[in-house]
Amino acid sequence: MIVLIASQLINGVVTGMLYALVGVGLTLILGVLNIPNFAHGVLFAFGAYFFLAATQAFGGFWLGLILAPFGVALLGGAIEYLGVRRLYTAHHDYQLLFLFAIALILQETIVLIWGPVGTTIQPPSYLAGGVDLGITRYPLYRLVVMGLTTAIVVALWLLLTRTNIGAIVRAGIESREMVEVLGIDVQKVFLFTFALGSWLAGVAGSIAAPITGLTPSMGFDILPVTFVVVVIAGLGSIMGAIGAGILIGIAQSLTTIWVPEAANVVIYLLMGLTIMLRPQGLFGRR
Amino acid sequence: MRDRTQFLLLIVALVLAPVLGRPVIAAEILAFAITAVANNMLLGYTGMLSFGQATFFGVGGYVAGLMMVHWNAPLWLALAGAAGGCALLAAAIGAVCVQRVGLYFIMLTFAFNQMFYFIAYSWSSLTGGEDGLAGIGRPAWLRDELRFYILVAVLFLLSLAAMKRIVDSSWGRLFRAVRDNPDRAAATGHDVRRLKLLSFVIAGGFTGLAGALYGLVYGIVPIDSIHWLRSGDIVFMTLIGGSGNFFGPVIGAAFYIWLSETVSLFWDRWPMILGIVFALVVLFLRGGIVEILTRLAGLAKRRAAA
Repeated sequence: MIVLIASQLINGVVTGMLYALVGVGLTLILGVLNIPNFAHGVLFAFGAYFFLAATQAFGGFWLGLILAPFGVALLGGAIEYLGVRRLYTAHHDYQLLFLFAIALILQETIVLIWGPVGTTIQPPSYLAGGVDLGITRYPLYRLVVMGLTTAIVVALWLLLTRTNIGAIVRAGIESREMVEVLGIDVQKVFLFTFALGSWLAGVAGSIAAPITGLTPSMGFDILPVTFVVVVIAGLGSIMGAIGAGILIGIAQSLTTIWVPEAANVVIYLLMGLTIMLRPQGLFGRR
Repeated sequence: MRDRTQFLLLIVALVLAPVLGRPVIAAEILAFAITAVANNMLLGYTGMLSFGQATFFGVGGYVAGLMMVHWNAPLWLALAGAAGGCALLAAAIGAVCVQRVGLYFIMLTFAFNQMFYFIAYSWSSLTGGEDGLAGIGRPAWLRDELRFYILVAVLFLLSLAAMKRIVDSSWGRLFRAVRDNPDRAAATGHDVRRLKLLSFVIAGGFTGLAGALYGLVYGIVPIDSIHWLRSGDIVFMTLIGGSGNFFGPVIGAAFYIWLSETVSLFWDRWPMILGIVFALVVLFLRGGIVEILTRLAGLAKRRAAA
């Protein structure tokens, strides 16, 4: 039993870190542009499918891991530049609905290109085995995922706190007007943030693919989870999104042990509970 | 156009619909039309974008279906149960969601929708899970498609009349006050949250009724009824028809069903068309089909004057 709980706990952290990456991307876009990105789930799915395409075309796992998220960032940038940008003067409902429409279009594009049936992708053979953790053997690839996601979070933290562009993005979350007053080109900040958020969704999709497999609906499945991450964390809280992601990852995988049917429901109960007890979110200030 | 003219046009459309197309499809349109008009009471009149109306559409279908399948409940009781049950459910979900405004509200309605989807999906002994709740039989006197359509049309008119009365009443004026300036509405002594909750509960009740009627159309509540994509469809119908007009969403529902019935015949990937139309409407035609119609009417009037 202890072994089961321990390995589910690690599983929860691994899934949670992936939720966290997607959630942080959503939080950045939400914080700076003030839009819940309904296309965020589909960008996650594109990360997985671009990764599949890249590894098939070039045969390299690491090359795929660099190219696929970059492709998703370009896609996200294009969505912002060609579409969302035209809607900044409109009510935010319209920006959100536009992104929902884009999500439908991209979702169907996945089916058109890669077909309606799901597929799987194998991690490279040197990452495929298991490791002895003392209490249990554990798949090496999942540990690699944990390391990679941690590295990305640290890099993101450095980007946001140690660079100029990071300071501007953080300022944008605090007060968009203030950034404009300082004479910074807000349009460029929006484009950068949307692309960065998309990149995070894409990288999560890429590294998740060998664990979860690829299905066309994977984007639509993760989108509500991402929203839960943001609501529990509190709008605009970046480090909160990471905490909330890990929290619901663990909650989900521990529920699987005792009440597997409720594993998908428990995170929404946590969300409801958070809103009732602490409406601004666990880490939010507003 | 005045309300009266619009109402007369609606009656003409209701009479023509079962003649021009199959009565069951016309009934399906009306079920969605009730849903879309109820959603517009939220979106157009109270300024609340809910991305979770499929919760009530689906639960309404399940409640009525289960009452009829398991308890042999009479039709009227099943419909009343669906409407009442969904109003109660909307009160519970709404009480949590109206705590927050704007983006938060949208995300909360959306997330709760997914929660109820998973409940329906996992609790398959009750709901039929992935296969949907099947075997909902219409009573003998309603087997005939046309008779069933007439019943749906009557309930549709009653629902619209009730919602029209609500939006024209003092409640409706308060809803618009909440939409246009919530701070001022609060400053003049009105409880904004309670008004929003009221709007949410009324919309939830009518959506539940519509979901129950939809279940009776083909005798099944498919799991899609409660998926959040269905909530997107409902918003689509409302906007594409025109959220600035009380009857606009009715046109939107008809357009949506027409689009899905025709395009899905020759292309499996028809939601892509849905997405493209949706994107174009959001970018260029925010008044929906009603905006096209009023522009055309204005053009005709100017030509007649010249």
